[in-house]
Amino acid sequence: MSLTIGKLAVSVGVSTDALRYYEREGLIAPTAKTRSGYRLYASEAVRHVRFIKRAQQCGFSLAEIAQLLALRASDGACCGDVRRVAIEKKLQLEARIRDMATMSRALDVLIADCNAPDATSSRCPILDALDRQDTSKGGARKP
Amino acid sequence: MMVEFFFTNGCGRCADERLALRRAAEALIPNLDWRDVDVVVELDHAVALGVLTLPALAIDGELVFSGLPSERRWRQELCRRTAVRP
Repeated sequence: MSLTIGKLAVSVGVSTDALRYYEREGLIAPTAKTRSGYRLYASEAVRHVRFIKRAQQCGFSLAEIAQLLALRASDGACCGDVRRVAIEKKLQLEARIRDMATMSRALDVLIADCNAPDATSSRCPILDALDRQDTSKGGARKP
Repeated sequence: MMVEFFFTNGCGRCADERLALRRAAEALIPNLDWRDVDVVVELDHAVALGVLTLPALAIDGELVFSGLPSERRWRQELCRRTAVRP
């Protein structure tokens, strides 16, 4: 059974634009085209696109998903290879979480320092503090 | 000198080179402290050192190789740090 791009999109809950984008990125390919040039997909494409969606939900980029799909299609790939890719993604996510926590703490300091919420923007303590941080890169830091 | 080898179980390319790198290090560094670090067990430590890909190598708490170095580069790095001539 062949699916048009519209039917495939409805089946998996993504837009037709997304499916065309996946195709440009080499993640999916239609099995045939009609005489009018419409893409046709095998029913297996539903499972394939769901795989892509779930991988995206786990934080994998399209390039990484292509790597996972290659491992999935490869007879020689073992579970250990996939596990390593998943653990590397986890390391990257944890590093980003750590960076974001640092940013959040920096914002906490700025917010706590701002004890005059009614001040005009020209005397806003947060903007002043950000100005000071910029100045500190050049060397001198205001007290 | 402490060398930490970050790996995960089941990673083929981790296992392939680990022994050769360890032997090269042991031959060059007399008081070598080699640690095999399973990142699943010590994830926070790996993240703190900036490990993003596997395998990875850290020397004295500093991430030195994100990926496997050739044995020649590995020896060069160890020699540079110990001022021992290769």
